[in-house]
Amino acid sequence: MEFKLEAHRIVSISLGKIYSARGQRGGLKLHKNLLVSLVLRSARQVYLSEPGCPPEPACGPPEEEPPPPGTAAWPAGEETTIPPPPQDEAARGGPRVPGAECQGPRPRRCCCGCSCCCAAAAGGEENRPDCATATGVAATLPPPHCPRKRSAGERVQAGSPVKKPRREVEEEPPPPPPDEQEDMETGNVASLISIFGSSFSGLLSKEPKGRRRPPLDGGESVAATSAEAAAEPGQICCDEPVLRTLNPWSTAIVAF
Amino acid sequence: ADIISTVEFNYSGDLLATGDKGGRVVIFQREQENKSRPHSRGEYNVYSTFQSHEAEFDYLKSLEIEEKINKIRWLPQQNAAHFLLSTNDKTIKLWKISERDKRAEGYNLKDEDGRLRDPFTITALRVPILKPMDLMVEASPRRIFANAHTYHINSISVNSDHETYLSADDLRINLWHLEITDRSFNIVDIKPANMEELTEVITAAEFHPHHCNVFVYSSSKGTIRLCDMRSSALCDRHSKFFEEPEDPSSRSFFSEIISSISDVKFSHSGRYMMTRDYLSVKVWDLNMENRPVETYQVHEYLRSKLCSLYENDCIFDKFECCWNGSDSAIMTGSYNNFFRMFDRNTRRDITLEASRESSKPRAILKPRKVCTGGKRKKDEISVDSLDFNKKILHTAWHPMENIIAVAATNNLYIFQDKIN
Repeated sequence: MEFKLEAHRIVSISLGKIYSARGQRGGLKLHKNLLVSLVLRSARQVYLSEPGCPPEPACGPPEEEPPPPGTAAWPAGEETTIPPPPQDEAARGGPRVPGAECQGPRPRRCCCGCSCCCAAAAGGEENRPDCATATGVAATLPPPHCPRKRSAGERVQAGSPVKKPRREVEEEPPPPPPDEQEDMETGNVASLISIFGSSFSGLLSKEPKGRRRPPLDGGESVAATSAEAAAEPGQICCDEPVLRTLNPWSTAIVAF
Repeated sequence: ADIISTVEFNYSGDLLATGDKGGRVVIFQREQENKSRPHSRGEYNVYSTFQSHEAEFDYLKSLEIEEKINKIRWLPQQNAAHFLLSTNDKTIKLWKISERDKRAEGYNLKDEDGRLRDPFTITALRVPILKPMDLMVEASPRRIFANAHTYHINSISVNSDHETYLSADDLRINLWHLEITDRSFNIVDIKPANMEELTEVITAAEFHPHHCNVFVYSSSKGTIRLCDMRSSALCDRHSKFFEEPEDPSSRSFFSEIISSISDVKFSHSGRYMMTRDYLSVKVWDLNMENRPVETYQVHEYLRSKLCSLYENDCIFDKFECCWNGSDSAIMTGSYNNFFRMFDRNTRRDITLEASRESSKPRAILKPRKVCTGGKRKKDEISVDSLDFNKKILHTAWHPMENIIAVAATNNLYIFQDKIN
């Protein structure tokens, strides 16, 4: 259990490093980023291999959870109950599970602060970690929606927000596939990937999953790299264990 | 003053070059021994300062190329001038440092201050004569070796043939001829066809001190490969492969990072080589590939702190190591401005500190000790009080005498043996 916590923490730290590496002077340091990605992979493996743990009092660890029964009523309910998404990350820890604030460093939270999905998670299905928070871009993004909505068929939409990654810190909500372990990342994974990937201006790696997207023109040509990198997680998430999003992301690292 | 990024004595030890993050090179020269002032035995004073590299911008990749000097290597001296190679991430330059202590005076066509004279005012001819002047040390770039590296250059090494040298970046090693700047040979290429499969990078490379066909390179996985250039043009296949099996009991998330080798140095004899990873220094016998012959723990007390060191990025610090002239001792740096020396014969080791407080001129350095647990004795320092911003990454040992140069961030300390 402790290993899982530590693994999770290490993953967050690693992602933070990769994120901040993009802006550094002199370009990306291949060696350091390779090491960080190795640590990330180890931590992720540990995290995945640990047996599922009972939910913590504050924020349960990712669990295998069937979609809550109220899915059908979700969209309607969501519109009314979701408060306007807080515009910064700190608020992600905000009102979620009533009376059970997650104070820990775990970024895995209901980003949109939808108390609705967490309320539905009363039985321990908490922490759909993947509601999209549009930080500052609420207007341009589709309204933040919880993964259930996504897995209900809006997969295509997963791709579109990705195209704006350079300018916005947006979170790609990777929905947990029903029978897989949940994503332990925040939805930041995709945004970090996208922003990170954008630093590889002009250098595209080999398309990892055969899903090549023609480069966008103009100012978005650089975003193409990021979009490509981020598209993977966005779209793969619907199909595979979310943590495999890290693979194309490490592609982004080494694409340089 | 800027952060020092490399320190190197020349072959005679009379000159000490430092490179810094701002692209400058400062060369110190040892004062001649002066019988009338015996105490100033061999002090080092600034000899020359010049700007070696400037920041550049790669327009194609929209990346800035840092001017930080990654390495300086001296060439063996062949005439009155001194030559050194200095490199940043992308470009290597050969600099000539020469002295000028005479000046020609009495030109016909120009004045003493250089202005051209009107030819019609010249009524007589004279022969210019050389007059002594104040010593001036000039540094001029003689060769610029550019555009051969896609990744960041981490090492350069001059060959024992004095004609060629190698430069290594994360994935490739190139061989150059000192006279030829428009061409270099790629001798090692570990870039995988699919970059997603990248698992290790080159971290350091060096030519053998005597065999001009042999060089080694270390990797981020803790391995060293020795290559012989006679065996093939592209030395992707090593001749020898040095790796110590990992101790499974000490496995952690950070095992890979701390096994990454940050420096490799041949002994002067050429029989051994030394590698530095995050927590230890290992001496390898070139004839034994499966494990080092000696291992020295530099700061084992950090093993339990690896997670914090990962967080604050200290775990990525690249410490260098060096041999003394007789290969009987090795030295490497640590945190809190500590540096460590190990005597290979007596197995004694010592920790010293490079700081202004403890280094008044002529003061004798006091050994330091880090308390690893339990009660802290007087004069010991506890692990948690170590200052991880004060790191000694670069040290150099005079090739013949017991004089060491230690770079502590932006200060250079030069220590020598106690004078009896």
